[in-house]
Amino acid sequence: MAKLKSRHTALVAAMSALALVAAACRAGDGGGGGEGEVATDVGVTQEACPNTPNKDNGCIYLGIISDLTSGPFAALAVPITNAQKAFWKRVNEQGGIEAAGGQAFDVDVTSNVKDNKYNPEVHRQVYEEIKGDVLGLAQTLGSPTTAAIKNDLEASNVVSAPASWTSAWEVEDVLIESGTNYCFEAMNSVDYAVEEFGAKSVMAVHYPGDYGEDAAGGAKAAAEAQGLDFSAVETDEGIENQSGAIQAITSKKPDLVILTTGPTDAAVIVGESAGRGYEGKFIGTSPTWNPELLKSDAAKAFEALYLQSGPWAPFGADTPGHKAMREALGKVQPNDGYTAGWVWSYPMKAALDKAAENGDLTRQGLLEAVKSLETVDYEGMLPEKAGNYSGEPNDAVFRQSLISKVDPDAPTGVTVEKDLFTGSTAEGYEFSEPCF
Amino acid sequence: MKELFSSILAGLGQGSMYALLALGFVIIYKATQVINLALPALMLAGAVLVSYLVGPFGFILAVVLGAVGIALLGLGLERTVIRPMVGKPVFVVAIITLGIDIALRVVVNGFIGTDVRQVGDPWGFARGSLFGVTVQERHIAMFVTTAIVITVLFAFFKYTRLGLAMRAAAFDQETALAQGISVSSVFALAWAIAGGLAAVAGTFVATGAGIDQQLWIIALKALPAIILGGLDSLGGAVVGGLSIGIVESLVATYQLDFAPWLGDNFSVVSPYVVMLLVLLVRPYGLFGTREVERV
Amino acid sequence: MTGSTTPTARPPQTPPGEAAVRRRRPRQLAGRPGLYTSYAQHLRLLNTRPKQIAVGVIVLVAFALPWLAEDQTLSLLGVAMAASIGAIGLNIVTGYAGQVSLGHAFFLAIGAYTASALSGDPADDTIGFGVTNVVVWLLAAGVVAALFGVLVAPLATRLRGLYLAIVTLGLVFLGEHIFKEWQDLTGGAGVGRPGPVPHLFGIELNSAGDVLTSDQKLYLLMLVSLVVLGLLARNLARSKVGRAFAAIRDRDIAASVIGVNLTRYKVIAFAVSSFYAGCAGALVYTITGFIEPTSFNLLLSVQYIAMVLIGGVATISGSIMGAFFITLLPALTRQLPGVVPLISEDASAPLNVFQVETVLYGLLIIGFLIFEPRGLYGIWTRIRNYWKAWPFSY
Repeated sequence: MAKLKSRHTALVAAMSALALVAAACRAGDGGGGGEGEVATDVGVTQEACPNTPNKDNGCIYLGIISDLTSGPFAALAVPITNAQKAFWKRVNEQGGIEAAGGQAFDVDVTSNVKDNKYNPEVHRQVYEEIKGDVLGLAQTLGSPTTAAIKNDLEASNVVSAPASWTSAWEVEDVLIESGTNYCFEAMNSVDYAVEEFGAKSVMAVHYPGDYGEDAAGGAKAAAEAQGLDFSAVETDEGIENQSGAIQAITSKKPDLVILTTGPTDAAVIVGESAGRGYEGKFIGTSPTWNPELLKSDAAKAFEALYLQSGPWAPFGADTPGHKAMREALGKVQPNDGYTAGWVWSYPMKAALDKAAENGDLTRQGLLEAVKSLETVDYEGMLPEKAGNYSGEPNDAVFRQSLISKVDPDAPTGVTVEKDLFTGSTAEGYEFSEPCF
Repeated sequence: MKELFSSILAGLGQGSMYALLALGFVIIYKATQVINLALPALMLAGAVLVSYLVGPFGFILAVVLGAVGIALLGLGLERTVIRPMVGKPVFVVAIITLGIDIALRVVVNGFIGTDVRQVGDPWGFARGSLFGVTVQERHIAMFVTTAIVITVLFAFFKYTRLGLAMRAAAFDQETALAQGISVSSVFALAWAIAGGLAAVAGTFVATGAGIDQQLWIIALKALPAIILGGLDSLGGAVVGGLSIGIVESLVATYQLDFAPWLGDNFSVVSPYVVMLLVLLVRPYGLFGTREVERV
Repeated sequence: MTGSTTPTARPPQTPPGEAAVRRRRPRQLAGRPGLYTSYAQHLRLLNTRPKQIAVGVIVLVAFALPWLAEDQTLSLLGVAMAASIGAIGLNIVTGYAGQVSLGHAFFLAIGAYTASALSGDPADDTIGFGVTNVVVWLLAAGVVAALFGVLVAPLATRLRGLYLAIVTLGLVFLGEHIFKEWQDLTGGAGVGRPGPVPHLFGIELNSAGDVLTSDQKLYLLMLVSLVVLGLLARNLARSKVGRAFAAIRDRDIAASVIGVNLTRYKVIAFAVSSFYAGCAGALVYTITGFIEPTSFNLLLSVQYIAMVLIGGVATISGSIMGAFFITLLPALTRQLPGVVPLISEDASAPLNVFQVETVLYGLLIIGFLIFEPRGLYGIWTRIRNYWKAWPFSY
């Protein structure tokens, strides 16, 4: 009898304890400070950030959700994240974000960093975990992952910088992209090839999904506009899965291949196609390239056949922004992930500056600031008008990209061949929805 | 016709890698009745180890040292993690090996870093001609290496005391114990051999393009191979691996011309289709032992 | 719950045996609440008083939770409950009937896509019929998945053990290929489509209303589904079908000798299991709100196997515990770095927090299975037995 009683008492105790804990959990939405001149709600405090040089400043918390360990983009995502940390550290060292009424805020991007493993469900879960603590997201990596939280970003006005170059985000207000997307990049590449080598046929060899299909869509649009033969071959990730693509390239022998894969798969495709006597040109995108490919067995083929398009100049370029980036990063192995992470941070800084100036660092206020942004100072990495987030997608979208060539002496193995330009197709393209 | 032969030869090269991996699966299965799902991580670890060793030692020595290193790693894993599980349900052990795979791969990824690593092989994408058919040199190298490894392995099983002990233990553990065979060292040895084979396979798969963090996925292709050959047949693993390689290569070459409705990249899943078809006819694979049903 | 079972209210001790059998409701021995006094009692749905009380309390607390816990917690618990349904399904075919299936991800996918296609917006890029009633698409998801289960079952009548496991794994790979290619339905790899749209009696469960937030409403939907499906599964397990499953699992030849129709019961096992998987798939992706076709891979199947093994084979409560463990584990390991401050938060450093998280996930699964191969249910049994024999426990 006694044991029964004791067990029940224990149960009652446990349950009530649980209820108490739970009751303590469900609190209202904790508002931010409020005594300052600047209106704030979520993710902005009057207290200084942890580990900041400016003890008098307030703090703006931004989240980072990236592919940091086991996902397919981990190799790119880690430099992106580190570049963003360096970017905001530099902003803080220069005094932070200055608001109306002489108040200033530092930006903290290190307290809320989460690993999404490139999985939409995990992405959504970690987003839920940090959502209540951040004003916006300094990085949300990947398209399917970002798509999984898109509705909530919109509903809660969480301004976010997506880490992907897809054309899907140009039509969203809360997502602030930088530079052009794969779609226009591929159009420009095709136009470039027609101009430079008089290409008559184009093949898009691409991964499935937003990355590859976006580029394939652009290549197709350009091929139609230029009256070229167009074919598309979808290929899966994995170096043993490329034989279909190689077969297609070597049997059809197109003048130009628009390549949107990862680096190792690109090495197999370029290396083997060249080995089988293919002599056309490849134009890849930035995720297709890795400087280590120059040490691979496909190096010769890359030097002979490969060009690379990009939304901005590679790591070693000579603009003030690039220099500031290299300085802020210190001694690191050059990688264009750093360049991307750095460039992607400018619009967020511009939006924060503007919102702080307006005296409204609430989520709503930040979104309003974004909607009124017509230019962003990219410190020369991109033209100022690339940062146009007001107006319709067709007017606001940035259409310039550049072409680089393989150069073993450059820090990331490529140097600019033709600086930012807009091809004729991209110029005339009516952009109202994603290209795929 | 040349295209056909060249496709078959490429398939044989790739298939010999599946064969090595399949042998690893089968050896462990025969010894312990467990599917070792940590093999993908061991394969990746092998390739990465070789990429570090190739600088000071040269390719061939690096492969040998790499195989030995991963064999020791496999041995260590068996001793520490798998040993306590002897006699426990095999599916529990299989999930444990998967836990090893998850943990080990993260550690190995740390050594790959942000760049593609090269294993420094001498072949690259160079092509040679064999009986008038062009074929990649690395595919020939894969096939020859596999042939040598398999010969050594089969000789080991047939002619050495240890090999005999392994066969005996696989046949009947209790009787083997009664004959004075240390079954526990057989278990450990099985893991070591599988680890070594996986390391060799990983290195050769990475020839040409190099190692990235997704290389491990290839090891899963060995699963249809072992089922096709029969879970407990070493010869079956080799035949299964080679056939899977050839089927995959042929489908990749011809499917877009003859059956485009199957979708892009059908070759990636073709091994599983072959496996399903074979199993409908022969439920224990081509060479697997039929389970005797006693009432 | 207070005072519901004061020991004094119990009837006087009756000897087990005849007396108990004659009475309609066999009584329990006072002080031995776990003792079964008749076969009929043993077979009852909730066969001991403490079990009835415990389940009642847990369900009550679970229903109170939406007003106690935070939205984020609720959404996580909701996913765990939906996953529990899938784990119960897998436990039916693998735990009760002994047919190891690695194809669970495929059935989850069938359910998720059936539900989202039925409830999807017809104006969207992907297939949608606009039938947003939860009851309709949930049942449809289960039924369509069950049909696929029936198609697969004949394989199970020919294959055993690891052969069956790897063949069902093949199903996952084939399914992934089809889902990637069938872009009208799935949006394609890397693009995806919206998840099922849950409306019930005119209430939109996936958006905040006047009274409840969407997380609260979805949590309640998951809870009700889990309670209903959990009870049904428990009921199935104690029926003739459940006993047939156990006979097949323990020795299929013996089972067929005593008159169990192997083909028939294996088909039933796969059909029921797939039904649960289909429902679980539909519900999980209602919470996520987005489906990407490459999610349904080997890892997902293995996670469900891990739920069953870690929870406890051939138990319903074990399946639920296992599903909660596996679903909540990543959230827990993510908290850990805050507790252990020595690990670097720099993602480029060797062995940083993010790697530790993932490694820990693997190691916890390993450790758990090594030290408690019978799973969470085994731990529970040991605790129970300790207290049963108290104060003479050892």
